[in-house]
Amino acid sequence: MSNTLRPYLNAVRATLTAALTLENFSSQVVERHNKPEVEAKTTPEVLLNPLIVSRNESERVLIEPSINSIRISISIKQADEIEKILCHKFTRFMMMRAEGFVILRRTPLPGYDISFLITNFHSETMLKHKLVDFIIQFMEDVDKEISEMKLSLNARARIVAESYLATFT
Amino acid sequence: MSNEYAFRKIDIDALDEDALLPSDLVDPDPRGPDGALSDARARSTETRNLVSKGDIAGALTTILTDPPYGDGVDEAKNLTTSAVLLILNSTRANDIPNVIKGLDQEQQAHLMAYLYKNMSALGSGADIPGSVLLTWHEKLTEAAGVGCIVRVMTDRRTL
Repeated sequence: MSNTLRPYLNAVRATLTAALTLENFSSQVVERHNKPEVEAKTTPEVLLNPLIVSRNESERVLIEPSINSIRISISIKQADEIEKILCHKFTRFMMMRAEGFVILRRTPLPGYDISFLITNFHSETMLKHKLVDFIIQFMEDVDKEISEMKLSLNARARIVAESYLATFT
Repeated sequence: MSNEYAFRKIDIDALDEDALLPSDLVDPDPRGPDGALSDARARSTETRNLVSKGDIAGALTTILTDPPYGDGVDEAKNLTTSAVLLILNSTRANDIPNVIKGLDQEQQAHLMAYLYKNMSALGSGADIPGSVLLTWHEKLTEAAGVGCIVRVMTDRRTL
């Protein structure tokens, strides 16, 4: 891990550890419902202050805690048009299979690339530090994945162009 | 949807007499907007003097005592935030742990709140070095623990 990435991930890890203190909480508005309060936003007293951890303009994480759920939205670094397209395709691919990832949200928040929603049921069935580790691991890997895809895309484009233009020699 | 059913979209819970508004959750700054502004002015001037003398710890203690909070005190908040940012920028990385040790629990929580506030302003074109904020965040978490972040999340008196 590079030296500039480490403090960023440490800050996210500390904030997530602080925010992941969830308990069961039934809706106060609709009887016999149990909604993630951070999504429903109907009860202002159980919503906590949202926190943003950012490394630079393009890379930031928004953490919105509430009594029974937290929402984590990640903005991924996109240096150019190709990375923008790759990032969009990549996150869309995962979000369409959101139930496979359990805590993944189906749509990202506006201004962010991918969102996670962790409820108290997730933190009861899964270990809290492993959940934090998963998010951190994801953030580490997604940058690597996108730059790898960009390299292989460029390599493939070169081969295609060469074999296409070879017919004209 | 036709107008006939538009009434179904009305949030009737908001019309309830017992409805809890976000403004009920926190008392406003007792100094009032003008008091908070003059207080913030005095403190940020003093802070700048202390920074130019090289007394970082003193400056940080001054600015983190009774910071302005709540709605309607935006100017006072901006003054305080820029003064805090000045201190953060003019501190050497080696001095940070000692400076943090000199703060009490409440001041540490306020400092953490300002760190998050500055980080959220990072995208809006302001000239804020992200790495400095992250270094401070790391050192402050080491010294004050995760509880410091929880205090920022739960404090309704937003700085």
